[in-house]
Amino acid sequence: MIEFRGVHKRYDTGIEALKGVDIKIDAGEFVFIVGASGAGKSTFLKLITREEVANSGEVIVSNFKLSKLKKRQIPYLRRSMGIVFQDFRLIDTMTVYDNVAFAMRVVGASQKDIRKRIPYVLGLVGLQNKSKAYPMELSGGEQQRVGLARALVNNPSMIVADEPTGNIDPDMSYEIMELLTEINRRGTTVIIVTHERDLVKAFQRRVIEIRDGLVVSDTKDEEVASYEI
Amino acid sequence: MRFNMFRYLVKEGYRSLRKNLFMSAASILVLVCCLLITGCAYLVFENVNHGFEWAYQQNIVVAYSQKGSTSEQNTAIQTAIGGMDNVSEVIFESKEALLERYSAEFGELLDDLKEDNPLQDAFIVRLKDLSLFDATVTAIEAVEGVDSVDYNADLSAMLVKIRDVVLHIGAWIILLLLLVSLFIIANTIKLTVYTRRLEIHIMRSVGATAWFIRFPFMIEGALLGTTAGTLAYGLVFGVYQVVCHYFPKTAMFQLISFADVWFTLLIGFLAGGMVVGLLGSTISTGRYLKEQTE
Ligand SMILES: Nc1ncnc2c1ncn2[C@@H]1O[C@H](COP(=O)(O)OP(=O)(O)OP(=O)(O)O)[C@@H](O)[C@H]1O
Ligand SMILES: [Mg+2]
Repeated sequence: MIEFRGVHKRYDTGIEALKGVDIKIDAGEFVFIVGASGAGKSTFLKLITREEVANSGEVIVSNFKLSKLKKRQIPYLRRSMGIVFQDFRLIDTMTVYDNVAFAMRVVGASQKDIRKRIPYVLGLVGLQNKSKAYPMELSGGEQQRVGLARALVNNPSMIVADEPTGNIDPDMSYEIMELLTEINRRGTTVIIVTHERDLVKAFQRRVIEIRDGLVVSDTKDEEVASYEI
Repeated sequence: MRFNMFRYLVKEGYRSLRKNLFMSAASILVLVCCLLITGCAYLVFENVNHGFEWAYQQNIVVAYSQKGSTSEQNTAIQTAIGGMDNVSEVIFESKEALLERYSAEFGELLDDLKEDNPLQDAFIVRLKDLSLFDATVTAIEAVEGVDSVDYNADLSAMLVKIRDVVLHIGAWIILLLLLVSLFIIANTIKLTVYTRRLEIHIMRSVGATAWFIRFPFMIEGALLGTTAGTLAYGLVFGVYQVVCHYFPKTAMFQLISFADVWFTLLIGFLAGGMVVGLLGSTISTGRYLKEQTE
């Protein structure tokens, strides 16, 4: 599903964010990516979403070899994933319903499909009663659930989230993680970058630790205390 | 493409145009000015060209052979003038034919002259290039058997000058104004792109294609451009009506009628506005849509 083979990423500034990463994540897995600030976690995700391109090595995502991916194919790669942002990225002038529908409209979904799909997805994240609300009228946790609904609405095979609970208080964070677990249970691959040790500890999933641009541990170890988070 | 998708995209383009009303108005205004000047230059140019045709009909250069020339001599003159590089045509008109023509115009008044025709045999000369007028006239004067040459040097010089001025200065002004309009339109749309950068980012992250993201901005640009084109067309029409009204009406020379150019102008304005608008939006969306390459 996702494979990194000897991946190096150097930014134009000369900083080497990834220094030879080899990793494989299978379809249907639930993975936490942890590591200190500046370790290269976000870079790792950006290589998956192809916001950045590796300088050497190969990244394979959903059968796309990203080094060979043509520009016009990028949208189709992105349709196979749902991206969740730390700062939610909701459009303030649109209702919850329209924020989610937006993601379907811009990939050319029909009005009929949209009308059928949105209530289902909003139900999935527990916001069926908030479809007419505006983002400003929601709590942080609720806003992130809208973000999650939007990521899910086009039925992607994976969810990619960079610190999805970074702007949410702990109780709400736990709920979001539970939602992601539920989504994963239905077959969607979930990859989450997080700094929250308690969450990693509580959910007992595969944990990949990145330090200074290298994968230094990849385990289901219950002893999370040793991670540099 | 599904119709509701198309409608959605057009609506988006229109919405952003409404949102930046001030900048939109500014870019329309500049583009209108640009098209207006272009249109006026075009009309002047067309009229000058029309003037050329008229000038040719006025037989700008007429050479007369010496009194009492024989027909052999006249033939020699015609051959000599006709052989010059800058001469496109030489028409011989005998003094009898000339008198005939004048009589037709002035009636019995000239009847007396038929006995003793005071006119000279004439050669109506048509030139290829009016800018070589002086040299050609000198050469014709030097031809053996030519008595005198009548010409309207001022008229031809003026026509050449107007044409050059219109062409050269006009082209530069139009180019400059087009660049200014392009710059302003690009910035207007850049403003829209900037205010909608969140939407653009989301579109990209959920996998909207580049053209889909671009389309509303294209619509915005095309709307700006064609609105300007339509306004400029109306203005040029109005201005030309006024000019025609005050332009001295003589039997000899008349301004071309708007009906002769309305189609060219309309298509030119709409296409010109559209091109500038689309180009502007392409320029301004480029940066936000650029994907990483390696
Ligand atoms: N666009 C960029 N241009 C230049 N350098 C960058 C860019 N993005 C990240 N970096 C650098 O690459 C390194 C890894 O950054 P990255 O964002 O992947 O870290 P991170 O693990 O996500 O950190 P954090 O936990 O703080 O989000 C850092 O040194 C960072 O400064
Ligand atoms: Mg990061």
